[in-house]
Amino acid sequence: MKCVGFILIGLACSLAGGAATADVVAVVSANSPITALSKNQLLDIFLGRASRYPDGTPALPLDQAEGSAVRDEFYTRVAGQSAAQIKAYWSKIIFTGRGQPPPTVSNDAEAKKRIRDNPAAIGYIDRAMVDDSVRIVF
Amino acid sequence: MRDQRLRTWILAIAVTMLMACYPFRGAAAGADPDPPMFVFNAFGTLGVVHSSDSQADFTSSDLKPDGAGYSHRWSADVDSRFGAQLTANITSQLSAVLQLVTEQNYANSYRPEVEWANIKYQLTPDFDVRIGRIELPVFLVSDARKVGFANPWVRPPVEVYDTEPLTNNDGVDLSYRLHLGEATTTLAAEYGSTYRVDFPLDMSAEAHDLRALIIKTEYGAALFNLSYLAAHVTLDPTIALFPAYRELGAAGEAIAQTYELVNKLATIVSAGASYDPGKWFATAEWMQFDSRSFVGVSTGWYLSGGYRIAKFTPFLTYSALTVSPTSSAGVDASALPASQAGVALALNAGLNQALGQRPAQRTLAAGARWDFARDLDLKLQIDHTRLGRGSPGELINLQPGFRFGGTVNLFSAAIDFVF
Repeated sequence: MKCVGFILIGLACSLAGGAATADVVAVVSANSPITALSKNQLLDIFLGRASRYPDGTPALPLDQAEGSAVRDEFYTRVAGQSAAQIKAYWSKIIFTGRGQPPPTVSNDAEAKKRIRDNPAAIGYIDRAMVDDSVRIVF
Repeated sequence: MRDQRLRTWILAIAVTMLMACYPFRGAAAGADPDPPMFVFNAFGTLGVVHSSDSQADFTSSDLKPDGAGYSHRWSADVDSRFGAQLTANITSQLSAVLQLVTEQNYANSYRPEVEWANIKYQLTPDFDVRIGRIELPVFLVSDARKVGFANPWVRPPVEVYDTEPLTNNDGVDLSYRLHLGEATTTLAAEYGSTYRVDFPLDMSAEAHDLRALIIKTEYGAALFNLSYLAAHVTLDPTIALFPAYRELGAAGEAIAQTYELVNKLATIVSAGASYDPGKWFATAEWMQFDSRSFVGVSTGWYLSGGYRIAKFTPFLTYSALTVSPTSSAGVDASALPASQAGVALALNAGLNQALGQRPAQRTLAAGARWDFARDLDLKLQIDHTRLGRGSPGELINLQPGFRFGGTVNLFSAAIDFVF
């Protein structure tokens, strides 16, 4: 019974702790030929199922740091999945030696810099951080 | 057994040496750095299981010698394990992976075993070849069945997953990824030469000429998996019944040929699907294992679904395993000389006992996963299992007071982690 109480308290805390949501968009370099991606295409790139854009050019996805609000919001919006679910997904891939999650950047500014400098790169940032060096594709 | 151990070490050393070749790695080109040379990951589960039946043991795998019930009221051996993995990205095309896993093994020790040790060459972004010790991805979650964190349950349903306790194979595989519209289909073919696996009670099985074909399609939140596996399997030592049958002449020889598991083509066909849009998940899997021997034809399936409420994922699973044949006419004792008839009747009884006690069971499981911290989860699960008529189900170490065809309740708790 103590256990059940413990779980119920945990559940209540989890439900109460809804994080403030930011408006997150997926962006590529302004020099990239990519103009738009569908939700599934974007998901395939970030989940390591596709290593190229639909036009055949190589794609280099960049994740934001684990635990960051922008990362959680991105996966909630694109995959409908929580951070734990994405972690569980990658556990399956990592522990069969099939791949590793995308490299991470520490914040929106670094994401934007890496994306601006590399037409293959794709990342996600807060919409408020978008300027003319990057293009929104989703 | 010694050959296998030697080969394991050769594999592990070869992969390690290849990993050490990093000075030959080409200088990074382009603005973005290559993935890091070495990546270390680890996973593990700490779990306890309690069984309501004190006259037999519940285990999570045929490879384990004891578990919860008779041997231990609470067993930590059923689900606990630790795995560590080193991945080396040698060039952008060439990588190597070495994974060691420690868990209760056939000899009741926790000696670490080489789970994977393979080298992958990426011929194109969608086509790779691997050689060495690789996973045997027969079922939907076979490749991650040891990684509790990757799964919603404490363990994958034993009605399907315990039919094929092997998780790896020494050989080569080819994997080709096709992009059809927004669907990604992966075709994989695997070949293994000879692989020996040790079971408790000094039993072992050897598989050779293993061939597997797997077709996996991912489309958004949906995943479909079809697989076929075939191997020639020999049980060593053979069951004493069969040499005795052979003493009875042609009729006995025919029985031995039909039921003895010696160089028999064993096949597994499976189909699975899962749908996980985020808020909930549903998964179903069906498989049939045909051993062409006394082990019989096993058919297993399960349906499982769960709903996510914040960090909690309660789930329900129904799974079933049936087996046939469960009896045999044996040799016709009346056609034998009186001196052999008594032996024939005794052997027929022994054969029917072996066939009748193959595992058959149904389980209704309910539980929940709680992602209480980053990279950690806690799971609680209750299993209500009804054993098939006259069958011990998947239970082992049956004691004189054991009731065949009865019911068993399990309580399991586990903490999973990855880093």
